[in-house]
Amino acid sequence: MSENLTKILICDDSILMRKKLRESLNSCGSFEILEATDGEKAVKIYKEEKPALVFMDIVMPVKDGITAVSEIKEFDKKAKVVMASSSGTKEHLKKAIKAGAFEFIQKPWEQEQITRIVKNLDRKGE
Amino acid sequence: MFTQYFGQYLLNKNYLTPQQLHEALEVQKETRLKLGVLAVNAGYMTADQADEVNESQKKIDKRFGELAVDMGYLKEEQVEELLSSQKFGHLLLGQALVDKGYMTLQEFEKSINEYKKDYSISDEEFDAIQRDDVEKMINRLIKIEASKDEELLKSYLALFARNLIRFIDTEVIVSDVVKLEEYNCKFVAKQSVEGEIALTTYIEAEEDSFIKFASKFAEEELTAVDEMAEASVGEFLNLHNGIFIVNMSNSGVELELTPQEVYSNLRLENIYKVSIGLSFGEINLLISE
Repeated sequence: MSENLTKILICDDSILMRKKLRESLNSCGSFEILEATDGEKAVKIYKEEKPALVFMDIVMPVKDGITAVSEIKEFDKKAKVVMASSSGTKEHLKKAIKAGAFEFIQKPWEQEQITRIVKNLDRKGE
Repeated sequence: MFTQYFGQYLLNKNYLTPQQLHEALEVQKETRLKLGVLAVNAGYMTADQADEVNESQKKIDKRFGELAVDMGYLKEEQVEELLSSQKFGHLLLGQALVDKGYMTLQEFEKSINEYKKDYSISDEEFDAIQRDDVEKMINRLIKIEASKDEELLKSYLALFARNLIRFIDTEVIVSDVVKLEEYNCKFVAKQSVEGEIALTTYIEAEEDSFIKFASKFAEEELTAVDEMAEASVGEFLNLHNGIFIVNMSNSGVELELTPQEVYSNLRLENIYKVSIGLSFGEINLLISE
């Protein structure tokens, strides 16, 4: 992988969802895609790799996504995290915002949602 | 979805052989609905009157609707209404059966009336069921043995059926819910809903159906119960439960989910089991309260 590519971290315990999201991202550009299978691994990878964007599931074993986002934001206030979960309850939305996520997408997501988020990332990076 | 129920009903009543039903279901994809079947279904005409119009059509070169109006069986407004009405799936099946000569229009009329009577379905409910209003259909057609919360189970089941139709297969037949003291699962995805309402739900199937189900949701051909197949069935359950808890949240009940897990050869006790027929095989939805 080239060092110049924007790094994006996908954190989801489902291999299927990681694959789908990877495919969605690959169809909107070239990225170095990192993957984590639970919140704990995501925090560790974030600290080592400082990705430009994180997609984070909520319900996961070992460490849930909300806790992981809080820890990532504690480490890096500027971290950009999108919650991507099937359980967008009012409570989860509230907690995600409080933890510092800047967006919440409900599974199953549409390709346009992913494209929009990635495009906004490009603009802000300019 | 109602088409499958109605087809199943015709089989149970021995009006059709499985082979005839299968052929008619295939043929109905290319079948065009004729006004006679629509008018009989709506109760605007009897089957005998429709046959009379059909006979006249052989002599007079006019459309069915025009002739029926001429003969005083239909009003013009009714023709307009029928032509613009939704084309119900079971009518396509009925038309295919009549076209194939497996049933006469009279027999079709009789079976529709029997169906309403057997299930004590009102005209309004029948209308909703025809429109595949899953909620109403589950309420009318599915019996649940005494549960702590029958309404909740029914709405959970209706949502599950809708999600199956949305993500997996349009041919969905939900059977009655049975309570079992014990059940041995072959391949099973499991997830719990926690909070004010506590449910553990499972999607269970034999190997072949499990793989086919997984392939449908993953949108790729899977050939074994491997990591991807397990993730696929697990993720469908997670997606469904996610939608369920979002709906509950919208009505003021906050619930949480546990991470989904997949097992083989799991023994469960005191569960509700619902068998669900899909076009490629059978799966079971299992629920423990």
